[in-house]
Amino acid sequence: MAACAKGLDKLIFSLRSLRNLQLRNERGLSTSVCRPSPREDNDPPKFTPPPKPVVIDKTQTVASMRKFLSPEFIPPRQRTDPFKFSMERKDMVRRRKVLNIPEFYAGSILAVTMADPNASGKMNRFVGICIQRGGKGLGATFVLRNIIDNQGVEICYEMYSPRIQSVEVLKLEKRLDDNLMYLRDALPEYSTVDPDMKPESCSTSGEVPVNKIKVRMLPKPWSKHWERPRFGIQGIRFDLCMTPRQMEFVQKWAQPWQEYDMLKEYDTSRLEEQIFSEVQREMSK
Amino acid sequence: MAAWTCRFLLQRGTRLVSLRAAAESPVQSVGFIRTVKTTTWFEEHLTEDNQEYMRKSVAEEYRRQTAEKLNPLKDEPWQQHEWTEGSRRVGLVAVKLGMAPIWTKTGERHVVTMLQVQDCHVINYLSKEEYDGHTAALLVGGKNTSPFHKSESQVEMFTNAGVPPKQKVVTFKVSDNALIKPGTPLYAAHFRPGQYVDVTAKSIGKGFQGVMKRWGFKGQPASHGQTKTHRRPGASGPGGDPAKVFKGKKMPGKMGNVFVTSYGLKIWRVNTKFNVLYVNGSVPGHRNCLLKIRDTVLPTRSSTLLNPPFPTYFTEKEADLEEDLYDENLFVHTEPSLTMT
Repeated sequence: MAACAKGLDKLIFSLRSLRNLQLRNERGLSTSVCRPSPREDNDPPKFTPPPKPVVIDKTQTVASMRKFLSPEFIPPRQRTDPFKFSMERKDMVRRRKVLNIPEFYAGSILAVTMADPNASGKMNRFVGICIQRGGKGLGATFVLRNIIDNQGVEICYEMYSPRIQSVEVLKLEKRLDDNLMYLRDALPEYSTVDPDMKPESCSTSGEVPVNKIKVRMLPKPWSKHWERPRFGIQGIRFDLCMTPRQMEFVQKWAQPWQEYDMLKEYDTSRLEEQIFSEVQREMSK
Repeated sequence: MAAWTCRFLLQRGTRLVSLRAAAESPVQSVGFIRTVKTTTWFEEHLTEDNQEYMRKSVAEEYRRQTAEKLNPLKDEPWQQHEWTEGSRRVGLVAVKLGMAPIWTKTGERHVVTMLQVQDCHVINYLSKEEYDGHTAALLVGGKNTSPFHKSESQVEMFTNAGVPPKQKVVTFKVSDNALIKPGTPLYAAHFRPGQYVDVTAKSIGKGFQGVMKRWGFKGQPASHGQTKTHRRPGASGPGGDPAKVFKGKKMPGKMGNVFVTSYGLKIWRVNTKFNVLYVNGSVPGHRNCLLKIRDTVLPTRSSTLLNPPFPTYFTEKEADLEEDLYDENLFVHTEPSLTMT
């Protein structure tokens, strides 16, 4: 988000300098007022941003030029006063001005540095694949999973905790599902990430790449019945672990009428627009 | 709904009358319809335009009243005294917004409940004799409401104070030096970060519940030969000697929907612009319920109340108050990230 704001700043700056040029030209033609011209001449150096030629930064600005609103900004559907969420949003924006929380999705590979009183050096860096994003408002969380010494490790981070020092996106991609909790029951190779991974620059085009990988699962029992229609999971190769007869049998849990239940619809598109513009405004302040 | 039905009947009545060319008097037909109830709705004899006008004008009037009352010091306030140890201040009526997490400067996470103070005014003052003979009391109301569905006697108290009618009115026992003139607005800055408060509200109703949920009984095992006995209370008392069940025996029954007070909740943060209090932990009541907040009565926490705004916070006296007041241990989101040492 902050990176986006930076990009905007640059844009605005370039616009402003253009206008300044124009103004100066006009003034040169008219030669009427000489008062503001010295100030105008002093202005541009004041506005020049400090040099920040970082290659990673550049890719990230391009990536975040996409219109992206973090999902925890969208309030849940309930009877709480919307004012409560706006108060929370203010704090979230304040925190985001200090800490750059980039755009990421379930399936992206992240590295999080966190202050830890028990770690050597009081600082802990963990690299893993984001398997879930949860919570709304200030209580938003995300879960990173990795396999370290053949042992699965998951850490649930609070996004707005002051102990978080930095969040880096090493590989930005989506998966077929929004929740990858089934990686717990998948073969360990699918959740293994190299802890010394270097950040990959993703494509600069508009869409976030979708990794259409389908994972192979460990033999049953699983922690949950992932094959049931309730989860609607696309990213598992069920054909390897279940017979067609079993697949058919599972359909008895399906509730196909649910998608036609208009009371369960929650269209956030307009809300999202409003909140996005509000957050943009606040971040650029 | 009732009003609508009533109007419909009235119109039909008049139409009937007009059809029959005043064979019966319209008063009779109206009287026939109105046998059910004894009061009138405010809009019963008003056209829609007039109703609209009434609503608008009353809203305007209340807005004006609220704006006028914002400066109680101009309006000859009652005599103000200095804060002394042991005096009891007035409290507030607030709306429960919901819960949110906060972090301390040591990186610990706590949860807070956000309470908003909406249109909180002092309504009335009851002297010692009028109240209970021991202490004086102040009535405080919160959250404006429509006057149209209240009777005249109900609204009388509010008109005397010169404030709009309130949804909730609570009584606070106050010491004699903490009296405030009726009509004075109260703000969230009445409480300051670091002090402790008690919050009273009506808890969420749970309906008729068994003993396991209501009193925390253990119940019986699920298996090992139980027949129809898993969540039952078991025995209810001794046998032969008293030969009765003692009064007050914990039994199944209605649970919740009673006034509950949670004591000694710390105030972490106060937003003076929007009048929001961030109170530690959970408080009784559902979302958007109206609750009563006062300085805590816990003797161990009373020492946190050092030099509070007395008798209350006046906007004019402390005009330079910041928008957000934070507890000293609270992490403010504009600060850089914490590092452990």
